Amino acid sequence: MSQAWIDIRDLRLERGGRLVLQGVNASLAGRAVGLVGANGAGKSTLIGALLGVLKPSSGSIRVLDLEIPLRAMDLRARAGVMAEQAGVFPGGSGVDAVVFAGMLSGLSRRESLRRSHRALDALDMGEERYRPAHGYSTGMKQRTKLAMSLVHDPEILILDEPTVGLDPIGRTQLLRLIRDLRDQGRRILLSTHVLQDAETVCDEMLLLQGGVVAFSGAVGGLTGAEDGRMLATGSGFDAAFASKLGELGFGEISGSGERIVFRSRADGDLMPFWRLAAESGVEVRFLGRDHPTLEEAVIAVMEGGQGGK
Amino acid sequence: MVSERRAPSAWHVIRAIARREIGIALRRRLVRLLFLGSLVPPLVFGIILVVRLMAEKAVGVNLGWDPVLRFLQVQVAPVLLLSLGLGTPLVARDRAEDVLYLYAVRPVAPWHYAIGKMLAVAAPAFGLLMVPGFLIAVMRQGVLPDQVHFLDSILLVAKIGLAALFLAVAYAGASVGPSAAVKRARWALLLALALFTIPDAINELIFGNHAFAIGPAKASEAMLSMLFQGAATGRGVAALAVLLAYGVLGCLVTLVRVREEMRP
Repeated sequence: MSQAWIDIRDLRLERGGRLVLQGVNASLAGRAVGLVGANGAGKSTLIGALLGVLKPSSGSIRVLDLEIPLRAMDLRARAGVMAEQAGVFPGGSGVDAVVFAGMLSGLSRRESLRRSHRALDALDMGEERYRPAHGYSTGMKQRTKLAMSLVHDPEILILDEPTVGLDPIGRTQLLRLIRDLRDQGRRILLSTHVLQDAETVCDEMLLLQGGVVAFSGAVGGLTGAEDGRMLATGSGFDAAFASKLGELGFGEISGSGERIVFRSRADGDLMPFWRLAAESGVEVRFLGRDHPTLEEAVIAVMEGGQGGK
Repeated sequence: MVSERRAPSAWHVIRAIARREIGIALRRRLVRLLFLGSLVPPLVFGIILVVRLMAEKAVGVNLGWDPVLRFLQVQVAPVLLLSLGLGTPLVARDRAEDVLYLYAVRPVAPWHYAIGKMLAVAAPAFGLLMVPGFLIAVMRQGVLPDQVHFLDSILLVAKIGLAALFLAVAYAGASVGPSAAVKRARWALLLALALFTIPDAINELIFGNHAFAIGPAKASEAMLSMLFQGAATGRGVAALAVLLAYGVLGCLVTLVRVREEMRP
């Protein structure tokens, strides 16, 4: 795991007399980190605190090695933020809004104009970019917002519910764009309550529940995908087969008949399983990792089914 | 890390905000008309000045009319209207569209925002008062060098500059402040118009014509009288303080409002 780019220590933050963040601790190093949690869990408040917009009651925050809120302005110049509730800068066209966003982040007007067109080209915003932004569809608004957050070529992207209000095609396209940005080397913090979005994009997860961290770590660690548990379905999985499987180095074997669950060998090699199945005349219709979906895992954590890490 | 980019300077951010607002405002037909309207007095006064000078040369008599005060007294009206047209939608629109957080997540402090919006009104107002006034002073100096000393002209330009600065700041505060107080530009316009009329009306009702100016309109009259007619200094200084107070208050109202709403 590379060095953490977000480091939060015992962060407490009060809003309107209520302690919204109640001692958040997290050290996040993933290329794309999913910030998930139910409504009111404190996701937007945490983003506000990371950007230095909201002042913590206690605790410390470091993002990109910058102490926040002390160096919040420098961080904001290096971060691109796509805010959920705010739209596009009003009063002009899409390209006007993107150019203005670039200028606010420190670019000259000429440079911002050049980069805005490049960003809007990359986001497939054709001639629509010259139309007044108030007439945009939700999808076009989201693209413009993403362009506004990308125009100054930020090192990190903080995306707050980027797929809200999008149709399935728009959502898929936007997620693909975000994945591409991640693959180009940008660090991404994706706040979402759509777990499928987080699963598609993120390699690390921060799950907030009631203002505390319910889980922080790799997505596989949350779903249990990394613990090597395998599921095979078919027919003929009898006790003799299970016994021979154990002799071959597979562990924690359970189930019989049409379904068997076992833990992979230390070397991860599954060929012995296939050979044994062929020798024993067992029909295998499916072999895959035995783990819950992200949604099931998150719900389990939120319902107290798994302790926080 | 890819780079160690730092936050842009405050002036860069303030200028970007002011520039964008002026650019967007000039796309509105009403603001364009008001802008053109504010060019009419300088044009008319320029023509009058040239004609007067030609007449003086023809008859060989000094007609003794100094156009600077009269010009400024007339020019404040279109500049005031332009300021209201420019300033009253500025913050109200951002609040109505709920985009203040877009500024907060960028290297923009609340005071950058407030000063940027003020500058979007004050800069054109200052320019429209200062540039024609300056040109008139130059014409006066160039065409009547035997009657007007160079130092007099420098002093005149300084006075025009001072008047233009205080008027621009007051008009910006009195239009942007109301814009920050409400969420609709039309309510902001009504509020700003009330600021320009009601304080002095009430003051006059209570204290009569001798009352000190407490509204921006009367204060601008008192300031111009002091600077260009040598009227009572006490009233003039009080008027300067009133104009400055409108500017500062407008900026403070904007700042307070923005600090509250620049958050998720």
